[in-house]
Amino acid sequence: MSTKETMTNDSQELYGILAEFKNPKALIDASEKVVEAGYDKFDTYAPFPIHGIDKAMKLPKSKLGWIVLGHGLLGFSGAIAMMYFMSVIDYPINISGKPFFNAPAWVPIIFELTVLLSAFGAVFGMFFLNGLPRLNHPLFNIERFKKATDDGFFVCIEAKDSKFQADLVRKLFEEAGATHIEEVYD
Amino acid sequence: MGHKPTITDSLQFPAESRLPQILFGVGGAGLITSVIGYFTDADHFFFSYLVSFTFFTGIALASIFMVMFHHITRSKWGVVVRRIPETFGGNLWIWSIFFIPILLGMDTLYHYWTNPLAFDPTSPEYDKIVAGKEAYLNVPFFIIRQVVYFAIWGYVGRRLYKASIELEKTGDWGITTLMRKLSAFPIMLFAFTIAFASFDWLMSLDPHWFSTMFGVYFFAISFQSFWAIMILMVYYLHSKGLLKNTIGQAHIYDLGAWLFAFTIFYAYIAFSQFMLIYYANLPEETLWYYHRMEGSWKYILYGTLLCRFALPFLVLLNREQKHRKKVLIFVASVVVIMHFLELYWIAMPMLDKHGIEFTWMDISIFVGLGGVFFGLFFRQFKKHSMIPENDPKLEACLEKSYHH
Repeated sequence: MSTKETMTNDSQELYGILAEFKNPKALIDASEKVVEAGYDKFDTYAPFPIHGIDKAMKLPKSKLGWIVLGHGLLGFSGAIAMMYFMSVIDYPINISGKPFFNAPAWVPIIFELTVLLSAFGAVFGMFFLNGLPRLNHPLFNIERFKKATDDGFFVCIEAKDSKFQADLVRKLFEEAGATHIEEVYD
Repeated sequence: MGHKPTITDSLQFPAESRLPQILFGVGGAGLITSVIGYFTDADHFFFSYLVSFTFFTGIALASIFMVMFHHITRSKWGVVVRRIPETFGGNLWIWSIFFIPILLGMDTLYHYWTNPLAFDPTSPEYDKIVAGKEAYLNVPFFIIRQVVYFAIWGYVGRRLYKASIELEKTGDWGITTLMRKLSAFPIMLFAFTIAFASFDWLMSLDPHWFSTMFGVYFFAISFQSFWAIMILMVYYLHSKGLLKNTIGQAHIYDLGAWLFAFTIFYAYIAFSQFMLIYYANLPEETLWYYHRMEGSWKYILYGTLLCRFALPFLVLLNREQKHRKKVLIFVASVVVIMHFLELYWIAMPMLDKHGIEFTWMDISIFVGLGGVFFGLFFRQFKKHSMIPENDPKLEACLEKSYHH
């Protein structure tokens, strides 16, 4: 039983206002309106990836690539440093007359560590940028929000947005053609 | 969204263009000049010829390969640029006559195993290693193999080209089934013939050496430079005001991405071949690289590492760079030049053992064969539409747009 939905009182903190839209097209149009109205702390939720939603939301290019590059360079230089320490400084062994600084033989190790750290950077960087892992989210308090994994298309403007005013947000959603609007409490 | 893409460009290469004639003229002049070189330095003539011949043949083979996997995978991304490789491949049967000078120069190029004394145990010139390879490395079998290669390549290339033209003329989508049939089994034949052709043309220059990776190595270098040539061809057409709205940013981005991908593939293959030999350190294998790191030859080796891998890799790593005109033209040109130098580096140390000895013939034969190769291309390219019209996937290809 969902009790939270009816238990809205002033002691709970307002997280934001959630609006449901009929279809992906309406969601894209609504996102454009939200951007136009000047909100930037908002997100959209849909059961499947919608082509062009990132454009409508005016999302900036992801920083993930730079995180991966940083990790990749760390793996690259780390591998060289490691091999240099092991084969030249700490325990040099003459292997079939090859130089201690045996660069071609190190390439597989350098490559592997570059790839490994890049992959770590990509996965954990994605977690970090998405604010994961987390155990709960205020939106899960809304019974209707379960439709986001089935046939619901939602926009939520968060209360921490500097322009947030509950009545104005409600009005914007109404004008945008929302089918349901409700407040989300933390 | 929703609207059908319309083609606003003229799809015909200008009929009044004298480009094929000009290219044939340049090519003829280059080849005739090179004949003088044959009389002054026949050895160098044949080696230069082999380098340029493998350069252009490799581009044509990579073209057919690209058309084949495009058909097999029922791709749509490259329909607007497909006519270019189709035309390269469709000319391979005529191009085969340019193999004749190599047959004439076999005694120079492949003297280690065309000399019958090498197989004679009583002769002082007896070469035990080469004699052990007699079953494969002998002149009649070599010639038979060349005939088989060019028969397969010429036939498949021509049929794929013809099928595409027929589809354009008749609009019969059933022809796509024929195209897939022409691609599925022959792609396997291609894997074998390209590998063995590279053994025959380049690896058997030094029959004491062998590398089981040499076939894929030749494919990797040819395929990487093929994408560079494609990029340059598209920008050439754009510079003439052709297909400017048909081949768009999304399609150019795809070509840039292919170049990037096969830069990595090239580096992987070329380095693997080197590293296995370097690491194992067996004399009969390392000697090949030893000669190619002697004197000034090592600069080409380091040059390929820097200009054929590091530079394209780092420049094209960023997504936005894969469709920038100036960046792509620069990178593609560097790759094409390095491809020539790498083939030069594979073949020439057999002749100039202690360092690079460039001659004017290296350039004149390259210009000569290049003029003929591209002359044949534009002569054919003019005859039909520059993109495969009526192709079932054409619309989907035109619809592609680049997302920032």
